[in-house]
Amino acid sequence: MSRAARRASPWQVGLMAMMCLVSPLGLAAQTLSVNAAGDALRVQARNFPFLEGTVLTRLKEGRSVRVDFELTVLSKPEGPVVKQAVQGFTVSFDLWEERFAVSRAGSPPRSISHLRANDAENWCLENLTMSISSLGIGRDTPFWLRLVYRVQDLAPVTEDPGDRYTLRALIDRLSRRREEADLAKSVSGGPFRLP
Amino acid sequence: MARRLPTRRDMRTLALLVLLLGLPCVQANAQDADAPEGAVIDSVEMSGFSPYSLSPGLQKEFDSLIGTPLNRERLSQLVTRIEGEQPEMVAAVRSVARPDGKAHVIFLVARISDDTDLSENINARYIVESVDIDGPASEVSQGLRDDLQNLVGKRLDTDEAEKLKDRLEKELPGRDIARRISKGSEAGRIRVVFEIIEAPWIPFAPTRSKLVYHAEQGWSGVLDIPITVSGSRHRFTAGLVFNDIDDLIEEYSGFRLGFESRKIGTDKLGVRLDFGHFNATWEDATLSALSINPAIPEPYRNRLTFEPTATFAFSPSVRLAGGVSLSDLESLTHAPDSQKANAWIAGISADHTWKAADGRSSQSVEASYQLRAAVDGLDNDLLYKRHLGQASYRYKQGRGEALGSISLGYISGQPPLFERFSLGNSTTLRGFDKYDIAPTGGERMFHSSIEYRYHHVGVFFDTGSVWDRDGDAKIRYSTGFGVNNDSFFLLLGFPLNGNDATPIFMTGVRF
Repeated sequence: MSRAARRASPWQVGLMAMMCLVSPLGLAAQTLSVNAAGDALRVQARNFPFLEGTVLTRLKEGRSVRVDFELTVLSKPEGPVVKQAVQGFTVSFDLWEERFAVSRAGSPPRSISHLRANDAENWCLENLTMSISSLGIGRDTPFWLRLVYRVQDLAPVTEDPGDRYTLRALIDRLSRRREEADLAKSVSGGPFRLP
Repeated sequence: MARRLPTRRDMRTLALLVLLLGLPCVQANAQDADAPEGAVIDSVEMSGFSPYSLSPGLQKEFDSLIGTPLNRERLSQLVTRIEGEQPEMVAAVRSVARPDGKAHVIFLVARISDDTDLSENINARYIVESVDIDGPASEVSQGLRDDLQNLVGKRLDTDEAEKLKDRLEKELPGRDIARRISKGSEAGRIRVVFEIIEAPWIPFAPTRSKLVYHAEQGWSGVLDIPITVSGSRHRFTAGLVFNDIDDLIEEYSGFRLGFESRKIGTDKLGVRLDFGHFNATWEDATLSALSINPAIPEPYRNRLTFEPTATFAFSPSVRLAGGVSLSDLESLTHAPDSQKANAWIAGISADHTWKAADGRSSQSVEASYQLRAAVDGLDNDLLYKRHLGQASYRYKQGRGEALGSISLGYISGQPPLFERFSLGNSTTLRGFDKYDIAPTGGERMFHSSIEYRYHHVGVFFDTGSVWDRDGDAKIRYSTGFGVNNDSFFLLLGFPLNGNDATPIFMTGVRF
């Protein structure tokens, strides 16, 4: 076969490139919303789960998982930072009750159990607050939010370099990429105004 | 982690709760013996929490216990309901026999956040039923095995369990230890398993499966199907090659069969047998260049290879390999005449990965050197020595990744075409076409690459040269960008000092 004949036509290459580039866009939309409870600014996130994939597997093996949330208030979509709050949580899964338990680090400590996954995730966000008065922004001033979670202390699965390119390893690697995605995620939104 | 100090009342409640939770495994004396099932309940007490804070329905249920026969299942359901209503608390129940044969029921309720173990892992409320080692338990000292068994019969002490895990890691260097918990044989009991994860001293050879497209060279396909047996000690591989033009100067198709064993009596010794039969086709550019350079051995129609090797591992990171590569090359123009290219193989390789204590970054280094020497005494038609040294470094932090690699090659004598070096494919001098650089390959080679990726999108800069002993080494540079995550790539490479400035598109999967 000649080299010219072996080449794919430009439209084939273009179609392939388009498919590769567009595929990551098929993600569910993640949205943020804010509310206030007294002086506390709280955030709610839709389609922003973290009790899934690798994390869920670890929890169901009876291990606990530490998750750090970071809430950042920005004066523009890409910064500068007005204020940032960080809060750590320890999550475990009650093997007999088949419900989640969450403990908030810091003072005062708070813990809760008998929660479903969605409720446990919401409880974390409810306990991630920021003082409205400390923001120093007026009620008509727009602001943007960035919410990040990072799962800590999850040692990666030992990889056998010899299995790096096998069919099974490909599946593992694709799963692991998913695992890495499970371990840290962020969502941004805005503009918001103080409620 | 800053914690509120528990009050004296909290501490007392906790102490009672711990006592109660631990009691099932403690020999009870006559005074606090468990009341028998069916004994009439004459009093009910709740400690650590006011029963008036419960819902009216639960309060009523609580009050209605008095005068009824003791039913442990009912008490257990009440505990579950209390915890359901008060999710920040844990509850336990105990029934104590009165001297008159009646039962006194005590519900103990405590705040989860007042107990460090429970805050860390809610399963710490349960009694450990058994402790097992998943892996080579015989390599663990008797003392440590005894200490592991000391966890049995008590509430799970996560601190103690972590200390024992650390001791296992110290006793078994080079292996990872993971601790997991599962349900026990009855409610409220758990099994603890310490899993020993062994990293192999001799890894299996990477398979070559890929589907690669290079805008100047077309498609290349390789499918290796590995079958691992005997607990990952042995592996058979059947491979098919479809028009692979990415690896060598020749374009080849055919099949290969392989067998690997990475444990021959010991983790330190492994063997590998590779057999392959390939049909080669040649680019016009290669044939033209060969016709004016008779010093290069002639092209071949079929290539038959058999390569038995043995590997000795000094450590999980450093390995020495040796063997022989036997090749029979059927002439393209004078079939069935053939040439033999049989070479001794010797090589050393090392790799290591360092992970930061916080797990956020890692560095890995790989280095190898291989000599293939086709010398007298191996029934050779082609005599040569081929040296190849390679090293690579990778630093990963979060989503960012920096990579660097260098390769140096040197051949003396008269190497067959499949041994000659080439650059300008989907992994080297990306942006060039190898048939524009050296259509017959070369006897000397230098290549380096640096690359930065963020979330699999990256830029690269390649440098390299391939030339013959009496030729000039022209250094070529290329750069480019695209998506690359080792398994999948979609890149556009630009030659920076080539005769043709046309960018080259490359894409494919390697698995």
